[in-house]
Amino acid sequence: MTQTQTRRGGGYLERPAPSGLADVIEVILDKGIVIDAYVRVSLVGIELLTIDARIVIASVDTYLRFAEATNRLDLYEKGGKDLGEFIGDMQEGGAAKKTSGAVKGVKKAITGGGDDEERRPARKTSTRRRRTEEA
Amino acid sequence: MTTTTSTEQQHDLDPERGCYVYGVVAFGDDLVPAGMAGLEKAPVRLVRHEDIAAVVSDIALERAPGRAADLLAHSEVLDAMAGLTAVVPVHFGSVLADDAMVVEDVLAPGYDDFVHLLEELEGRLQLNLRATYVQETVLAEVVAADPEVAALRQRTRDLPEDAAYGERVRLGELVSRAMELKREDDAAVLMDAVTPYVAAWSERGGAGGLDHVIDVALLVDTVNLTAVEEHLEGLAEAVHERIRLRLVGPVAPYDFVGGAGWA
Repeated sequence: MTQTQTRRGGGYLERPAPSGLADVIEVILDKGIVIDAYVRVSLVGIELLTIDARIVIASVDTYLRFAEATNRLDLYEKGGKDLGEFIGDMQEGGAAKKTSGAVKGVKKAITGGGDDEERRPARKTSTRRRRTEEA
Repeated sequence: MTTTTSTEQQHDLDPERGCYVYGVVAFGDDLVPAGMAGLEKAPVRLVRHEDIAAVVSDIALERAPGRAADLLAHSEVLDAMAGLTAVVPVHFGSVLADDAMVVEDVLAPGYDDFVHLLEELEGRLQLNLRATYVQETVLAEVVAADPEVAALRQRTRDLPEDAAYGERVRLGELVSRAMELKREDDAAVLMDAVTPYVAAWSERGGAGGLDHVIDVALLVDTVNLTAVEEHLEGLAEAVHERIRLRLVGPVAPYDFVGGAGWA
């Protein structure tokens, strides 16, 4: 068992390889002190547009995306079983209680209340996100 | 060798060569590892001013615009230096005419600020933490919690894209607001779980995606690095059904030197 496996073997925390271009761009772009440079190495030509960059989306567009995402959910196809498991405690009480219930669930999980022993690798979302954020 | 301590040379501007600046460190004689290479694989060296120094390498000015390899080299040099000593990262792509200009335009006028920043960053590294929703799970929560959302979804889901525009917008608006409330709550819970372990943190201000929860830079004492990573692994496991955590780093403290952000 190597050091690396010990550190990164947990499975739930994604630890991307530090040399990935997308992550490097995320980390360094527009960061660092700005000096009055003589010339600047231009960023033109870098495959920036293919990167999972930050995209600020305006309201109606955003709403349509949420609607689309919601309608893509396979709630019924899954038979509603997963849904019930995830949100059982949210279905009791009013709206305010629902919110705090969800938060409490996270809090409980964070403080070690979660006892899910099943280990499965975190699924990646990047492809889906990129597709969702396009246009 | 890889270090240059003299500041009195190269006053004749070479129209074809410039001095690429990576960052600023407290000067040390053998600080730059032998063989460390930067952009264009040029040797990395120091340009000293009093007890601070700029980490630089020579670069051709007549060259193709920035390439992916340039970004990687910039970050590799800075991250490697950050593993050795405190470093103030300089914005990617900053080139000065020569060593003298590095001293006159950067190190000398910024001396007090650099010394102060270097003290603050001493023994610390940056981790970037991003939390995103497991979209299916959280959207399912929203649908189940709000009968109007469920009804709108039921009415619009099997219609063609361009039909029921108003209802789609209404559906998205409701979902968006519900997600925003969740996001505020969940971000607060996550940050409460993280901040006791870090020396400082800074919102990175990007990632406006539908599944965005938080995107923060954490400044961590190097001696606590392993403990923080283990804590975050535990946190990731605890919240994994609803939220994914992604950790990049340790990297140089790019977000803790007052540079311009995405705003």
